[in-house]
Amino acid sequence: MTPRLGLPALAVGLVATLLARPAAAQDPRLERLDAGTRPLVAALVDSARTAGLPAEPLVQRALEGTIKGAPGDRIVAAVRRLAADLGRARDALGPAASPPELEAGAAALRAGASPAVLVQLRRSRPQRLTVPLAVLTDLVASGVPVDSAAAAVLALAATSRDADLVEFRRAVERDIGLGAPPAAAASVRVNGAASQARPGPP
Amino acid sequence: MFEGGRDVVDQIIARLRRPVRIDPSLDARVMERIATLPTPRRAGAVTAAWRWLTEPRHVALSPLSGLAVATGLVALALLLPALARRPAPTIHELQFVLVAPHATAVSLIGDFNDWDPARTPMRLASAGGAVWTAVVPLSPGRYRYAFLVNGARWLADPTAPAALDNDYGGPSSVVTVAGS
Amino acid sequence: MGIDNVGTSDAELVRRVLGGDTGAYAALVARYRDRLGRYAVHMLGNREDAEEALQDAFVRGYRSLARCDDPERFGAWLYGILVNRCRTTGARAARRGQVFVRDEAALNGAPLPSSVERTELDDVVRRALARLAPEYREAFLLKHMDDLEYEEMARLTGAGVSALKMRVKRAREQLQAILREVERV
Repeated sequence: MTPRLGLPALAVGLVATLLARPAAAQDPRLERLDAGTRPLVAALVDSARTAGLPAEPLVQRALEGTIKGAPGDRIVAAVRRLAADLGRARDALGPAASPPELEAGAAALRAGASPAVLVQLRRSRPQRLTVPLAVLTDLVASGVPVDSAAAAVLALAATSRDADLVEFRRAVERDIGLGAPPAAAASVRVNGAASQARPGPP
Repeated sequence: MFEGGRDVVDQIIARLRRPVRIDPSLDARVMERIATLPTPRRAGAVTAAWRWLTEPRHVALSPLSGLAVATGLVALALLLPALARRPAPTIHELQFVLVAPHATAVSLIGDFNDWDPARTPMRLASAGGAVWTAVVPLSPGRYRYAFLVNGARWLADPTAPAALDNDYGGPSSVVTVAGS
Repeated sequence: MGIDNVGTSDAELVRRVLGGDTGAYAALVARYRDRLGRYAVHMLGNREDAEEALQDAFVRGYRSLARCDDPERFGAWLYGILVNRCRTTGARAARRGQVFVRDEAALNGAPLPSSVERTELDDVVRRALARLAPEYREAFLLKHMDDLEYEEMARLTGAGVSALKMRVKRAREQLQAILREVERV
Protein backbone atom coordinates (compact mmCIF):
# COMPACT_ATOMS: atom_id res chain seq x y z
CA MET A 1 0.00 0.00 0.00
CA THR A 2 2.82 2.38 0.83
CA PRO A 3 4.44 2.75 -2.59
CA ARG A 4 1.12 3.76 -4.14
CA LEU A 5 1.10 6.90 -2.04
CA GLY A 6 3.83 8.23 -4.29
CA LEU A 7 5.06 10.40 -1.46
CA PRO A 8 8.26 9.43 0.32
CA ALA A 9 7.41 11.25 3.51
CA LEU A 10 4.08 9.52 3.79
CA ALA A 11 5.66 6.16 3.12
CA VAL A 12 8.20 6.68 5.87
CA GLY A 13 5.46 7.75 8.21
CA LEU A 14 3.31 4.76 7.42
CA VAL A 15 6.13 2.29 7.97
CA ALA A 16 6.99 4.03 11.21
CA THR A 17 3.39 3.75 12.33
CA LEU A 18 2.99 0.08 11.46
CA LEU A 19 6.31 -1.14 12.77
CA ALA A 20 7.65 1.16 15.39
CA ARG A 21 4.61 2.69 17.11
CA PRO A 22 2.57 -0.16 18.51
CA ALA A 23 0.65 2.04 20.93
CA ALA A 24 -0.20 4.94 18.68
CA ALA A 25 -3.18 6.86 20.05
CA GLN A 26 -6.11 6.34 17.74
CA ASP A 27 -8.75 8.94 17.00
CA PRO A 28 -11.85 7.68 18.90
CA ARG A 29 -14.07 8.77 16.03
CA LEU A 30 -12.55 5.98 13.95
CA GLU A 31 -14.40 3.50 16.18
CA ARG A 32 -17.25 3.95 13.73
CA LEU A 33 -15.23 2.06 11.10
CA ASP A 34 -15.40 -1.72 10.95
CA ALA A 35 -12.62 -3.71 12.58
CA GLY A 36 -10.89 -4.54 9.30
CA THR A 37 -10.88 -0.98 7.96
CA ARG A 38 -10.09 0.88 11.18
CA PRO A 39 -6.37 0.02 11.56
CA LEU A 40 -5.65 0.78 7.90
CA VAL A 41 -7.31 4.17 8.06
CA ALA A 42 -5.71 4.91 11.43
CA ALA A 43 -2.30 4.10 9.93
CA LEU A 44 -2.90 6.42 6.98
CA VAL A 45 -4.05 9.19 9.31
CA ASP A 46 -1.00 8.76 11.54
CA SER A 47 1.42 8.67 8.65
CA ALA A 48 -0.09 11.84 7.20
CA ARG A 49 0.26 13.51 10.59
CA THR A 50 3.88 12.38 10.81
CA ALA A 51 4.48 13.86 7.38
CA GLY A 52 3.09 17.16 8.58
CA LEU A 53 -0.11 16.92 6.56
CA PRO A 54 -3.53 17.77 8.02
CA ALA A 55 -5.15 14.64 9.43
CA GLU A 56 -8.66 16.00 9.92
CA PRO A 57 -9.73 15.82 6.24
CA LEU A 58 -8.69 12.16 6.19
CA VAL A 59 -10.78 11.37 9.26
CA GLN A 60 -13.76 13.16 7.74
CA ARG A 61 -13.37 11.28 4.45
CA ALA A 62 -13.42 7.99 6.32
CA LEU A 63 -16.45 8.98 8.42
CA GLU A 64 -18.30 10.04 5.28
CA GLY A 65 -17.68 6.56 3.90
CA THR A 66 -19.20 4.92 6.97
CA ILE A 67 -22.40 6.97 6.95
CA LYS A 68 -22.78 6.33 3.23
CA GLY A 69 -22.32 2.61 3.71
CA ALA A 70 -19.19 2.31 1.55
CA PRO A 71 -17.22 -0.95 1.76
CA GLY A 72 -13.97 -0.85 3.73
CA ASP A 73 -11.62 -1.13 0.77
CA ARG A 74 -13.30 1.83 -0.85
CA ILE A 75 -12.94 3.91 2.29
CA VAL A 76 -9.24 3.03 2.55
CA ALA A 77 -8.72 3.87 -1.13
CA ALA A 78 -10.49 7.22 -0.72
CA VAL A 79 -8.44 8.17 2.34
CA ARG A 80 -5.22 7.09 0.67
CA ARG A 81 -6.01 9.11 -2.44
CA LEU A 82 -6.83 12.20 -0.41
CA ALA A 83 -3.57 11.84 1.57
CA ALA A 84 -1.63 11.68 -1.69
CA ASP A 85 -3.47 14.72 -3.07
CA LEU A 86 -2.76 16.68 0.12
CA GLY A 87 0.93 15.81 -0.27
CA ARG A 88 0.97 16.94 -3.90
CA ALA A 89 -0.83 20.13 -2.90
CA ARG A 90 1.81 20.87 -0.29
CA ASP A 91 4.60 20.23 -2.79
CA ALA A 92 3.01 22.82 -5.08
CA LEU A 93 1.86 25.37 -2.50
CA GLY A 94 4.90 25.20 -0.25
CA PRO A 95 5.56 24.05 3.30
CA ALA A 96 3.91 27.14 4.81
CA ALA A 97 0.54 26.37 3.26
CA SER A 98 -2.31 26.31 5.79
CA PRO A 99 -4.45 23.17 6.26
CA PRO A 100 -7.47 24.80 4.52
CA GLU A 101 -5.22 25.79 1.61
CA LEU A 102 -3.93 22.22 1.36
CA GLU A 103 -7.43 20.82 1.43
CA ALA A 104 -8.63 23.24 -1.24
CA GLY A 105 -5.46 22.53 -3.24
CA ALA A 106 -6.07 18.78 -3.05
CA ALA A 107 -9.61 19.31 -4.35
CA ALA A 108 -8.32 21.47 -7.20
CA LEU A 109 -5.81 18.80 -8.19
CA ARG A 110 -8.57 16.21 -8.04
CA ALA A 111 -10.65 18.42 -10.34
CA GLY A 112 -7.87 18.24 -12.89
CA ALA A 113 -5.80 21.35 -12.20
CA SER A 114 -2.09 20.76 -12.69
CA PRO A 115 0.40 21.33 -9.86
CA ALA A 116 1.90 24.07 -12.05
CA VAL A 117 -1.35 26.03 -11.75
CA LEU A 118 -1.12 25.82 -7.96
CA VAL A 119 2.47 27.03 -8.09
CA GLN A 120 1.45 29.98 -10.27
CA LEU A 121 -1.44 30.84 -7.98
CA ARG A 122 0.89 30.86 -4.99
CA ARG A 123 3.22 33.22 -6.84
CA SER A 124 0.42 35.58 -7.78
CA ARG A 125 -1.07 35.60 -4.28
CA PRO A 126 1.30 34.66 -1.48
CA GLN A 127 -1.41 34.42 1.19
CA ARG A 128 -4.96 33.16 1.62
CA LEU A 129 -5.34 30.90 -1.37
CA THR A 130 -8.23 28.80 -0.08
CA VAL A 131 -10.97 30.71 -1.87
CA PRO A 132 -9.19 31.02 -5.26
CA LEU A 133 -8.49 27.29 -5.19
CA ALA A 134 -12.05 26.48 -4.18
CA VAL A 135 -13.48 28.75 -6.89
CA LEU A 136 -11.31 26.99 -9.46
CA THR A 137 -12.68 23.61 -8.34
CA ASP A 138 -16.28 24.84 -8.20
CA LEU A 139 -16.05 26.25 -11.72
CA VAL A 140 -14.92 22.85 -12.98
CA ALA A 141 -17.86 21.30 -11.13
CA SER A 142 -20.13 23.70 -13.05
CA GLY A 143 -18.81 22.39 -16.35
CA VAL A 144 -16.10 24.96 -17.09
CA PRO A 145 -13.11 23.17 -18.66
CA VAL A 146 -10.28 23.01 -16.17
CA ASP A 147 -7.91 25.07 -18.33
CA SER A 148 -10.48 27.87 -18.68
CA ALA A 149 -11.24 27.75 -14.97
CA ALA A 150 -7.55 27.92 -14.10
CA ALA A 151 -6.95 30.78 -16.54
CA ALA A 152 -9.88 32.72 -15.08
CA VAL A 153 -8.79 32.29 -11.48
CA LEU A 154 -5.17 33.08 -12.31
CA ALA A 155 -6.30 36.27 -14.04
CA LEU A 156 -8.31 37.40 -11.01
CA ALA A 157 -6.56 36.01 -7.93
CA ALA A 158 -3.89 38.67 -7.55
CA THR A 159 -6.21 41.67 -7.64
CA SER A 160 -9.58 40.36 -6.48
CA ARG A 161 -10.90 39.95 -2.97
CA ASP A 162 -12.27 36.60 -1.85
CA ALA A 163 -15.83 37.94 -1.98
CA ASP A 164 -15.30 39.11 -5.56
CA LEU A 165 -14.06 35.68 -6.58
CA VAL A 166 -17.11 34.03 -5.04
CA GLU A 167 -19.36 36.53 -6.80
CA PHE A 168 -17.51 35.80 -10.06
CA ARG A 169 -18.22 32.09 -9.62
CA ARG A 170 -21.89 32.77 -8.99
CA ALA A 171 -22.12 34.98 -12.09
CA VAL A 172 -20.57 32.26 -14.24
CA GLU A 173 -22.99 29.69 -12.82
CA ARG A 174 -25.91 32.00 -13.56
CA ASP A 175 -24.77 32.45 -17.15
CA ILE A 176 -24.37 28.70 -17.58
CA GLY A 177 -27.85 28.25 -16.16
CA LEU A 178 -29.13 30.66 -18.79
CA GLY A 179 -27.60 28.59 -21.56
CA ALA A 180 -24.14 30.08 -22.05
CA PRO A 181 -21.37 27.61 -22.95
CA PRO A 182 -19.36 27.16 -19.70
CA ALA A 183 -15.98 28.15 -21.16
CA ALA A 184 -17.46 31.28 -22.76
CA ALA A 185 -19.28 32.17 -19.57
CA ALA A 186 -16.02 32.08 -17.62
CA SER A 187 -14.06 34.12 -20.14
CA VAL A 188 -16.78 36.77 -20.60
CA ARG A 189 -17.21 37.17 -16.87
CA VAL A 190 -13.48 37.22 -16.20
CA ASN A 191 -13.15 40.23 -18.51
CA GLY A 192 -15.94 42.01 -16.70
CA ALA A 193 -14.57 41.14 -13.27
CA ALA A 194 -11.02 42.12 -14.19
CA SER A 195 -12.19 45.54 -15.31
CA GLN A 196 -13.93 46.05 -11.95
CA ALA A 197 -11.17 44.59 -9.78
CA ARG A 198 -10.19 46.84 -6.94
CA PRO A 199 -6.70 46.76 -5.57
CA GLY A 200 -6.59 45.92 -1.90
CA PRO A 201 -6.25 43.06 0.52
CA PRO A 202 -8.01 39.90 -0.62
CA MET B 1 -53.45 41.35 -30.65
CA PHE B 2 -55.27 43.70 -28.28
CA GLU B 3 -58.95 43.39 -27.56
CA GLY B 4 -60.99 45.95 -29.48
CA GLY B 5 -63.02 48.49 -27.58
CA ARG B 6 -60.78 48.48 -24.54
CA ASP B 7 -57.95 50.90 -23.88
CA VAL B 8 -54.67 49.19 -24.80
CA VAL B 9 -52.96 50.64 -21.74
CA ASP B 10 -55.63 49.12 -19.50
CA GLN B 11 -54.97 45.79 -21.18
CA ILE B 12 -51.28 46.19 -20.44
CA ILE B 13 -52.07 47.00 -16.82
CA ALA B 14 -54.21 43.87 -16.55
CA ARG B 15 -51.29 41.78 -17.76
CA LEU B 16 -48.84 43.50 -15.42
CA ARG B 17 -51.08 42.73 -12.46
CA ARG B 18 -50.90 38.99 -13.02
CA PRO B 19 -48.83 37.24 -10.37
CA VAL B 20 -45.16 36.63 -11.11
CA ARG B 21 -43.54 33.60 -9.60
CA ILE B 22 -39.96 34.05 -8.49
CA ASP B 23 -37.80 30.95 -8.13
CA PRO B 24 -38.20 29.92 -4.45
CA SER B 25 -34.51 29.01 -4.30
CA LEU B 26 -33.95 32.76 -3.98
CA ASP B 27 -34.95 32.34 -0.31
CA ALA B 28 -32.03 30.01 0.25
CA ARG B 29 -29.63 32.34 -1.53
CA VAL B 30 -30.75 35.24 0.63
CA MET B 31 -30.44 33.17 3.80
CA GLU B 32 -26.99 32.00 2.73
CA ARG B 33 -25.90 35.61 2.30
CA ILE B 34 -27.32 36.87 5.56
CA ALA B 35 -25.92 33.91 7.47
CA THR B 36 -22.52 35.54 7.08
CA LEU B 37 -23.76 38.85 8.51
CA PRO B 38 -24.06 39.87 12.12
CA THR B 39 -27.54 39.92 13.62
CA PRO B 40 -29.03 43.38 13.08
CA ARG B 41 -29.67 45.13 16.36
CA ARG B 42 -31.22 48.36 17.43
CA ALA B 43 -28.72 50.85 18.80
CA GLY B 44 -28.39 50.16 22.52
CA ALA B 45 -25.99 50.76 25.35
CA VAL B 46 -23.25 48.69 23.73
CA THR B 47 -23.49 50.63 20.47
CA ALA B 48 -23.43 53.89 22.36
CA ALA B 49 -20.35 52.75 24.27
CA TRP B 50 -18.65 51.69 21.05
CA ARG B 51 -19.42 55.05 19.50
CA TRP B 52 -17.94 56.77 22.55
CA LEU B 53 -14.80 54.67 22.22
CA THR B 54 -14.38 55.17 18.48
CA GLU B 55 -15.20 58.87 18.21
CA PRO B 56 -12.02 60.96 17.93
CA ARG B 57 -11.39 63.29 20.87
CA HIS B 58 -8.54 65.26 22.39
CA VAL B 59 -7.02 63.70 25.53
CA ALA B 60 -4.74 65.68 27.84
CA LEU B 61 -1.84 63.73 29.44
CA SER B 62 0.71 64.81 32.04
CA PRO B 63 4.37 63.97 31.15
CA LEU B 64 4.37 61.17 33.76
CA SER B 65 1.16 59.65 32.39
CA GLY B 66 2.59 59.90 28.88
CA LEU B 67 5.68 57.98 30.00
CA ALA B 68 3.48 55.26 31.52
CA VAL B 69 1.46 54.96 28.30
CA ALA B 70 4.66 54.80 26.23
CA THR B 71 6.01 52.02 28.48
CA GLY B 72 2.77 50.11 28.00
CA LEU B 73 3.01 50.50 24.24
CA VAL B 74 6.57 49.19 24.19
CA ALA B 75 5.51 46.15 26.23
CA LEU B 76 2.63 45.57 23.82
CA ALA B 77 4.97 45.86 20.84
CA LEU B 78 7.22 43.20 22.38
CA LEU B 79 4.26 40.90 23.02
CA LEU B 80 2.54 41.33 19.67
CA PRO B 81 4.86 39.19 17.52
CA ALA B 82 4.30 36.26 19.87
CA LEU B 83 0.53 36.78 19.69
CA ALA B 84 0.59 37.18 15.92
CA ARG B 85 2.33 33.87 15.38
CA ARG B 86 -0.83 31.96 16.27
CA PRO B 87 -3.80 34.05 15.26
CA ALA B 88 -7.08 32.60 16.42
CA PRO B 89 -9.12 31.58 13.39
CA THR B 90 -12.17 33.72 12.81
CA ILE B 91 -15.33 31.71 13.30
CA HIS B 92 -18.19 32.43 10.91
CA GLU B 93 -21.73 31.37 11.60
CA LEU B 94 -23.17 29.97 8.39
CA GLN B 95 -26.82 29.29 7.93
CA PHE B 96 -27.78 26.36 5.74
CA VAL B 97 -31.24 26.38 4.22
CA LEU B 98 -33.20 23.63 2.49
CA VAL B 99 -36.69 23.95 1.07
CA ALA B 100 -38.28 20.54 1.63
CA PRO B 101 -42.08 20.75 1.86
CA HIS B 102 -42.68 17.06 2.48
CA ALA B 103 -39.83 16.29 4.88
CA THR B 104 -40.50 15.28 8.45
CA ALA B 105 -36.84 15.47 9.53
CA VAL B 106 -33.71 16.89 7.93
CA SER B 107 -30.11 16.56 9.10
CA LEU B 108 -27.17 18.58 7.90
CA ILE B 109 -24.15 16.30 7.64
CA GLY B 110 -20.63 17.11 6.55
CA ASP B 111 -16.96 17.60 7.20
CA PHE B 112 -17.83 20.00 10.04
CA ASN B 113 -19.76 17.52 12.20
CA ASP B 114 -18.03 14.18 11.63
CA TRP B 115 -20.76 13.15 9.16
CA ASP B 116 -22.95 12.41 12.17
CA PRO B 117 -26.70 12.71 11.44
CA ALA B 118 -27.47 13.34 15.10
CA ARG B 119 -25.22 16.37 15.49
CA THR B 120 -26.96 19.03 13.38
CA PRO B 121 -30.70 18.46 13.01
CA MET B 122 -32.25 21.23 10.91
CA ARG B 123 -35.36 23.00 12.15
CA LEU B 124 -38.31 24.52 10.37
CA ALA B 125 -38.15 28.28 9.98
CA SER B 126 -41.83 28.35 10.90
CA ALA B 127 -44.30 25.71 12.07
CA GLY B 128 -45.93 23.90 9.17
CA GLY B 129 -43.58 25.54 6.69
CA ALA B 130 -41.15 24.10 4.21
CA VAL B 131 -37.91 25.97 4.91
CA TRP B 132 -35.45 24.01 7.07
CA THR B 133 -32.50 25.86 8.53
CA ALA B 134 -29.43 25.18 10.62
CA VAL B 135 -26.65 27.48 11.74
CA VAL B 136 -23.14 26.05 12.00
CA PRO B 137 -20.06 27.88 13.28
CA LEU B 138 -17.23 27.31 10.82
CA SER B 139 -13.61 28.38 10.73
CA PRO B 140 -12.12 29.31 7.33
CA GLY B 141 -11.78 26.36 4.99
CA ARG B 142 -13.50 24.15 2.49
CA TYR B 143 -16.24 21.78 3.68
CA ARG B 144 -18.19 19.06 1.91
CA TYR B 145 -21.71 18.36 3.08
CA ALA B 146 -25.15 17.03 2.20
CA PHE B 147 -28.68 16.97 3.60
CA LEU B 148 -30.21 13.74 4.88
CA VAL B 149 -33.99 13.88 4.54
CA ASN B 150 -36.20 11.62 6.66
CA GLY B 151 -33.12 9.63 7.62
CA ALA B 152 -32.91 7.99 4.23
CA ARG B 153 -32.68 10.36 1.29
CA TRP B 154 -29.49 12.27 0.49
CA LEU B 155 -29.83 15.66 -1.13
CA ALA B 156 -27.21 18.09 -2.37
CA ASP B 157 -27.64 21.79 -1.65
CA PRO B 158 -29.25 23.21 -4.79
CA THR B 159 -27.68 26.60 -4.12
CA ALA B 160 -24.09 25.40 -3.64
CA PRO B 161 -21.40 23.98 -5.92
CA ALA B 162 -21.30 20.20 -6.27
CA ALA B 163 -18.41 18.30 -4.72
CA LEU B 164 -16.20 16.78 -7.40
CA ASP B 165 -14.15 14.82 -4.90
CA ASN B 166 -17.07 12.54 -4.24
CA ASP B 167 -15.53 9.17 -3.52
CA TYR B 168 -18.66 7.37 -2.41
CA GLY B 169 -21.26 8.66 -4.87
CA GLY B 170 -24.51 10.33 -3.89
CA PRO B 171 -25.10 14.05 -3.80
CA SER B 172 -22.60 16.28 -2.00
CA SER B 173 -22.05 20.01 -1.98
CA VAL B 174 -19.23 22.32 -1.03
CA VAL B 175 -19.07 25.46 1.04
CA THR B 176 -15.92 27.51 1.34
CA VAL B 177 -15.41 29.91 4.22
CA ALA B 178 -13.03 32.73 3.34
CA GLY B 179 -10.20 33.86 5.55
CA SER B 180 -7.36 31.39 5.04
CA MET C 1 -44.53 28.05 -2.71
CA GLY C 2 -44.49 30.11 0.44
CA ILE C 3 -44.23 29.67 4.12
CA ASP C 4 -47.47 29.35 6.00
CA ASN C 5 -47.34 32.19 8.44
CA VAL C 6 -50.95 33.15 8.75
CA GLY C 7 -51.27 34.86 12.10
CA THR C 8 -47.63 35.89 12.36
CA SER C 9 -47.42 39.60 11.67
CA ASP C 10 -44.53 41.30 9.93
CA ALA C 11 -43.82 43.14 13.17
CA GLU C 12 -43.56 39.87 15.10
CA LEU C 13 -41.20 38.37 12.51
CA VAL C 14 -39.06 41.51 12.50
CA ARG C 15 -38.94 41.40 16.29
CA ARG C 16 -37.79 37.77 16.19
CA VAL C 17 -35.05 38.53 13.66
CA LEU C 18 -33.80 41.44 15.76
CA GLY C 19 -33.81 39.07 18.71
CA GLY C 20 -31.39 36.76 16.94
CA ASP C 21 -33.78 34.32 15.21
CA THR C 22 -32.30 34.66 11.74
CA GLY C 23 -34.58 31.91 10.45
CA ALA C 24 -37.60 34.20 10.92
CA TYR C 25 -36.25 36.34 8.08
CA ALA C 26 -36.85 33.39 5.73
CA ALA C 27 -40.56 33.80 6.43
CA LEU C 28 -40.42 37.48 5.48
CA VAL C 29 -38.50 36.68 2.31
CA ALA C 30 -41.02 34.00 1.32
CA ARG C 31 -43.88 36.37 2.09
CA TYR C 32 -42.67 39.23 -0.10
CA ARG C 33 -40.63 37.38 -2.73
CA ASP C 34 -43.25 37.18 -5.46
CA ARG C 35 -44.95 40.51 -4.84
CA LEU C 36 -41.74 42.53 -4.88
CA GLY C 37 -40.33 40.27 -7.56
CA ARG C 38 -43.13 41.27 -9.91
CA TYR C 39 -42.03 44.89 -9.69
CA ALA C 40 -38.37 44.00 -10.26
CA VAL C 41 -39.15 41.76 -13.25
CA HIS C 42 -41.25 44.39 -15.02
CA MET C 43 -39.00 47.27 -14.06
CA LEU C 44 -35.78 45.62 -15.20
CA GLY C 45 -37.18 43.55 -18.06
CA ASN C 46 -35.22 40.41 -17.41
CA ARG C 47 -35.42 37.76 -14.76
CA GLU C 48 -31.71 37.50 -13.99
CA ASP C 49 -31.29 41.17 -13.10
CA ALA C 50 -34.61 41.14 -11.28
CA GLU C 51 -33.64 38.23 -9.05
CA GLU C 52 -30.26 39.78 -8.36
CA ALA C 53 -31.86 43.08 -7.39
CA LEU C 54 -34.45 41.33 -5.27
CA GLN C 55 -31.87 39.20 -3.50
CA ASP C 56 -29.74 42.24 -2.84
CA ALA C 57 -32.72 44.21 -1.54
CA PHE C 58 -33.55 41.43 0.91
CA VAL C 59 -29.94 41.32 2.12
CA ARG C 60 -29.80 45.11 2.48
CA GLY C 61 -33.11 44.97 4.29
CA TYR C 62 -31.68 42.48 6.75
CA ARG C 63 -28.56 44.58 7.33
CA SER C 64 -30.54 47.69 8.14
CA LEU C 65 -33.53 46.02 9.76
CA ALA C 66 -32.88 47.87 13.00
CA ARG C 67 -33.69 51.08 11.13
CA CYS C 68 -37.13 49.85 10.05
CA ASP C 69 -39.13 52.27 12.17
CA ASP C 70 -42.53 50.71 11.53
CA PRO C 71 -42.04 46.92 11.44
CA GLU C 72 -45.75 46.39 10.75
CA ARG C 73 -45.09 47.99 7.37
CA PHE C 74 -41.95 45.97 6.66
CA GLY C 75 -43.18 45.23 3.12
CA ALA C 76 -43.54 48.89 2.22
CA TRP C 77 -40.16 49.68 3.77
CA LEU C 78 -38.47 46.91 1.80
CA TYR C 79 -40.25 48.05 -1.35
CA GLY C 80 -38.40 51.35 -1.01
CA ILE C 81 -35.08 49.54 -0.84
CA LEU C 82 -35.98 47.50 -3.92
CA VAL C 83 -37.03 50.58 -5.90
CA ASN C 84 -33.63 52.11 -5.21
CA ARG C 85 -31.83 48.90 -6.01
CA CYS C 86 -33.66 48.59 -9.33
CA ARG C 87 -32.55 52.08 -10.27
CA THR C 88 -28.88 51.14 -9.89
CA THR C 89 -29.29 47.76 -11.60
CA GLY C 90 -31.23 49.35 -14.45
CA ALA C 91 -28.58 51.98 -14.98
CA ARG C 92 -25.81 49.39 -14.96
CA ALA C 93 -27.70 47.06 -17.32
CA ALA C 94 -28.26 49.92 -19.73
CA ARG C 95 -24.52 50.60 -19.78
CA ARG C 96 -23.38 47.02 -20.29
CA GLY C 97 -26.03 45.76 -22.74
CA GLN C 98 -26.92 42.12 -22.75
CA VAL C 99 -24.32 39.42 -22.99
CA PHE C 100 -26.45 36.37 -23.57
CA VAL C 101 -29.81 35.78 -25.12
CA ARG C 102 -32.22 35.03 -22.33
CA ASP C 103 -35.33 32.93 -22.25
CA GLU C 104 -37.68 35.88 -22.30
CA ALA C 105 -40.69 33.62 -22.82
CA ALA C 106 -40.27 32.65 -19.17
CA LEU C 107 -40.25 36.28 -18.12
CA ASN C 108 -43.53 36.15 -16.29
CA GLY C 109 -42.72 32.99 -14.46
CA ALA C 110 -46.29 32.05 -13.67
CA PRO C 111 -47.75 29.53 -16.08
CA LEU C 112 -48.78 31.42 -19.18
CA PRO C 113 -51.65 30.68 -21.53
CA SER C 114 -50.18 28.49 -24.20
CA SER C 115 -51.36 30.36 -27.28
CA VAL C 116 -48.72 31.99 -29.40
CA GLU C 117 -50.62 35.26 -29.33
CA ARG C 118 -50.52 35.43 -25.54
CA THR C 119 -46.76 35.02 -25.56
CA GLU C 120 -46.46 37.64 -28.29
CA LEU C 121 -48.58 40.01 -26.23
CA ASP C 122 -46.30 39.54 -23.23
CA ASP C 123 -43.34 40.26 -25.45
CA VAL C 124 -44.95 43.41 -26.79
CA VAL C 125 -45.75 44.61 -23.28
CA ARG C 126 -42.18 44.00 -22.19
CA ARG C 127 -40.71 45.82 -25.17
CA ALA C 128 -43.09 48.72 -24.80
CA LEU C 129 -42.21 49.12 -21.12
CA ALA C 130 -38.52 48.93 -21.99
CA ARG C 131 -38.91 51.93 -24.28
CA LEU C 132 -40.20 54.15 -21.51
CA ALA C 133 -37.72 56.30 -19.62
CA PRO C 134 -36.89 54.53 -16.33
CA GLU C 135 -38.54 57.18 -14.16
CA TYR C 136 -41.76 56.93 -16.24
CA ARG C 137 -41.69 53.14 -16.08
CA GLU C 138 -41.09 53.26 -12.33
CA ALA C 139 -44.02 55.62 -11.70
CA PHE C 140 -46.32 53.71 -14.07
CA LEU C 141 -45.65 50.36 -12.39
CA LEU C 142 -46.05 51.70 -8.86
CA LYS C 143 -49.30 53.44 -9.75
CA HIS C 144 -50.99 50.95 -12.01
CA MET C 145 -49.44 47.59 -11.27
CA ASP C 146 -49.37 47.98 -7.50
CA ASP C 147 -52.19 50.49 -7.22
CA LEU C 148 -50.30 52.75 -4.81
CA GLU C 149 -51.47 56.16 -3.71
CA TYR C 150 -49.34 59.07 -4.94
CA GLU C 151 -48.33 59.91 -1.38
CA GLU C 152 -47.00 56.41 -0.88
CA MET C 153 -45.20 56.57 -4.23
CA ALA C 154 -43.62 59.84 -3.15
CA ARG C 155 -42.32 58.18 0.01
CA LEU C 156 -40.87 55.29 -1.98
CA THR C 157 -39.26 57.29 -4.74
CA GLY C 158 -38.40 60.59 -3.11
CA ALA C 159 -40.13 62.44 -5.96
CA GLY C 160 -42.93 64.97 -5.47
CA VAL C 161 -46.56 64.04 -6.00
CA SER C 162 -47.08 66.40 -8.92
CA ALA C 163 -43.95 65.14 -10.66
CA LEU C 164 -45.16 61.57 -10.20
CA LYS C 165 -48.59 62.39 -11.61
CA MET C 166 -46.92 63.90 -14.62
CA ARG C 167 -44.70 60.83 -15.09
CA VAL C 168 -47.64 58.45 -14.95
CA LYS C 169 -49.57 60.56 -17.46
CA ARG C 170 -46.61 60.72 -19.82
CA ALA C 171 -46.02 56.98 -19.45
CA ARG C 172 -49.62 56.29 -20.48
CA GLU C 173 -49.34 58.56 -23.49
CA GLN C 174 -46.07 57.05 -24.59
CA LEU C 175 -47.34 53.50 -24.16
CA GLN C 176 -50.39 54.32 -26.26
CA ALA C 177 -48.19 55.75 -28.99
CA ILE C 178 -45.80 52.79 -28.90
CA LEU C 179 -48.63 50.25 -29.03
CA ARG C 180 -50.35 52.04 -31.91
CA GLU C 181 -47.11 51.57 -33.83
CA VAL C 182 -47.09 47.88 -32.95
CA GLU C 183 -50.70 47.43 -34.11
CA ARG C 184 -49.82 49.00 -37.45
CA VAL C 185 -46.94 46.60 -38.14
